Amino acid sequence: MSILYDEGQQAIATESRRVLEARVNKDELLPLLEVTGKYHDGFWNTAKEQGWTALALPEAYGGLDLGLVELGLIAHQAGRSLSGAPFLTGSFGAAKAIELYGSDEQKAKYLPGLASGETIGAVAFASGSNALPTLPSVTLTDNRLDGTSTGVAGGLAADIAVVYANGPGMPVLVVADLTNVARNAIDSFDNSRLYADLGFAGTPAETLVVGGAARDAALHVLALQAVITAHEQTGGAEAMMEIARDYAVTRRAFGQVIGAFQSIKHRIAELYGFVELARANCIHAASREGQADFVTAAAAARISATEAYDSASRDCVQIHGGMGVTWELGLHLHTRRARSLAIEQGNLLFWEDVLVDRLTGEAA
Amino acid sequence: MSDLDAYRTKAAAWLESMVPTYGKEARKGLSVEEDLAIARQYQRAKFDAGYAGINWPTEYGGQGLGHLEKVTFDGEEMKHGFPSFYFGISLGMPIPVLMQFGSDKEFVKERVLKALKGEEIWCQLFSEPSGGSDLAGLRTKAEADGNGWRINGQKIWTSWAQYSDYGVIVVRTDPNVPKHKGLTYFWVDMKAPGVTVRPIKLVGGDSHVNEVFFDDVKISDDHRMSPVGGGFAVAIATLMIERYVATDSAGFGPHLDLFVDLAKDTELNGKPAIEDGRIRQQIARNYAMRSGLQSITARAMAMMQAGMVPGPEGSLNKLVAVRSRQKLSELAIDLQGSGGFAYDDHASQKENWTSSWINAPTGRIAGGSDETLLNTIAEKILGLPQDHRPDKGVPFNQIPA
Repeated sequence: MSILYDEGQQAIATESRRVLEARVNKDELLPLLEVTGKYHDGFWNTAKEQGWTALALPEAYGGLDLGLVELGLIAHQAGRSLSGAPFLTGSFGAAKAIELYGSDEQKAKYLPGLASGETIGAVAFASGSNALPTLPSVTLTDNRLDGTSTGVAGGLAADIAVVYANGPGMPVLVVADLTNVARNAIDSFDNSRLYADLGFAGTPAETLVVGGAARDAALHVLALQAVITAHEQTGGAEAMMEIARDYAVTRRAFGQVIGAFQSIKHRIAELYGFVELARANCIHAASREGQADFVTAAAAARISATEAYDSASRDCVQIHGGMGVTWELGLHLHTRRARSLAIEQGNLLFWEDVLVDRLTGEAA
Repeated sequence: MSDLDAYRTKAAAWLESMVPTYGKEARKGLSVEEDLAIARQYQRAKFDAGYAGINWPTEYGGQGLGHLEKVTFDGEEMKHGFPSFYFGISLGMPIPVLMQFGSDKEFVKERVLKALKGEEIWCQLFSEPSGGSDLAGLRTKAEADGNGWRINGQKIWTSWAQYSDYGVIVVRTDPNVPKHKGLTYFWVDMKAPGVTVRPIKLVGGDSHVNEVFFDDVKISDDHRMSPVGGGFAVAIATLMIERYVATDSAGFGPHLDLFVDLAKDTELNGKPAIEDGRIRQQIARNYAMRSGLQSITARAMAMMQAGMVPGPEGSLNKLVAVRSRQKLSELAIDLQGSGGFAYDDHASQKENWTSSWINAPTGRIAGGSDETLLNTIAEKILGLPQDHRPDKGVPFNQIPA
């Protein structure tokens, strides 16, 4: 796959940006922070209508047969506009897990709904500080799940979840129906991500992969999601850099625009470096899907995108001075999202270890 | 296997065959003069094997291949410690500029071939004591003299000038106009009467850069490579070429694999350092940074190959890479603790952490200081205001000193 976007891919980027800029504004997003359990349904309806939910899934199951590159471009725009509901990554991750590791029956059962967006998927791998625990806290016995998955993105609204569980004695990757699951809403600093602890109690689950292969499968799914999230982070970082720049060329102090001060202009130039490195790693990672070095490339994308978004949101607020921390300006929407995305799909520490394990050929 | 993979395999095999004669082991203990002699032979071998001027036009003795083949070969070549750096400036900027702007095509062709074969070396005479980052502030002048010109003044930081046969030079031909408008671009014979080269010893102990003095050096007008007063544009064209010639995600320091090896071989609190989170974090972040730069460069090359103009993100290369190399080199020395004091001023900065560290400040200044590069990114890419510029629009000879 080419590392240069072709015309069709560029059109996806332009069109998704146009649509999102027309339909999303901060006044819709700010109220979502003050309640638990609401997401930006305008975004999700747009995603369904535009076919973004179907984009990277197989044609046989209602998908459009495109890939990570195209979905990444949309995630980038979603990150810029801050609108991205957690399902953009979660439903995609669940669908890919089923597509890659499920039986024909499972694919036929779940994929069309996930492709159309009628079914909302989530991915529940983490156990507290462990993105991919050695011993998962959820246990599978006789095709039923028990235990709690913590901090599941989109967990409050998901219909199904792909869960990493303890078999027992060996890891398993399963798909669970969430209809009767106890959902403990997490009152979060980024409420529109719908974080929830999912309490399983005899919840029916279908097995996708068993044993050592389940861990590799879970890491692969996490890497796919990480690449999408990294695009979203890069989009957010790019938006913050541009907002900082626009402010620096209009705001005046000491008789000149503040962007003329090297303390400000160099800070924004440094952000450009973070954003472009993250973008380059994202493009590269998306193009490596299916290759032996995919997880390595995904980890690099994730690390640089997390650094970029945190740095850009931090510095953009700083450059705005007092106005930067007000509810009125809403820059904190990015500050919050930068941190929530930094934790979803495995934190920086997790991906740093994954990357170094790959580079050294051994785990610490 | 793709065509490019096949090219890589063939190039790697050829390079492997050169290692016994020209690799880092073969070069150990040589004086600079002996090393340069070996380097000329190696360059000639590259030419004969079709690996010199890979992406240059065939009419000038190049191979007529693409940028991707060029970076592929460079990537493989970098692994063996061959003495190719003596020709880095020569073949990197002056010769491509000569091909683009030289007026006498026969002369140009002869020079290009000799440079490709390692028989002649060119240098780039830009910086001056009073005009480093402020390139257009240079004071070396060329005055009309009969049918030609007479050059007087001083250049500095000129790499490999002591071994150069020719150089490209920017000089002031009119001090009565604003500084960018009074410059003209020439080539100059470095062996001409009145040219004096004095090596400068740098912090790492080597002397690859020089001061160059011009005392009534006469050149004819056919040495001119720009319109009179139009030299700044050609100088900028040279620097744009440099942006993509001077790319190495390791910041011209050691490959990250060497740090990983060091961390595996070093004990920290009774455990291998590679298990230490602080060390792992640095490896991971450096890898992410370097892979980002490599992807930027690969994309730029693919764009050029496709006849497109690469994005401005290539300007990040040196800024990001050299700074991080400096820090990683500090950490590598730290990691060795009381075993980290040793210093060998002949060690390669691409293979030795101490050499990399002590030479890193040079890298953060040469080819545009960090601060200049940040200004360029801020002003040219992001549209932020220029610094306060009291010299703007003022004739050069009226700029307050």
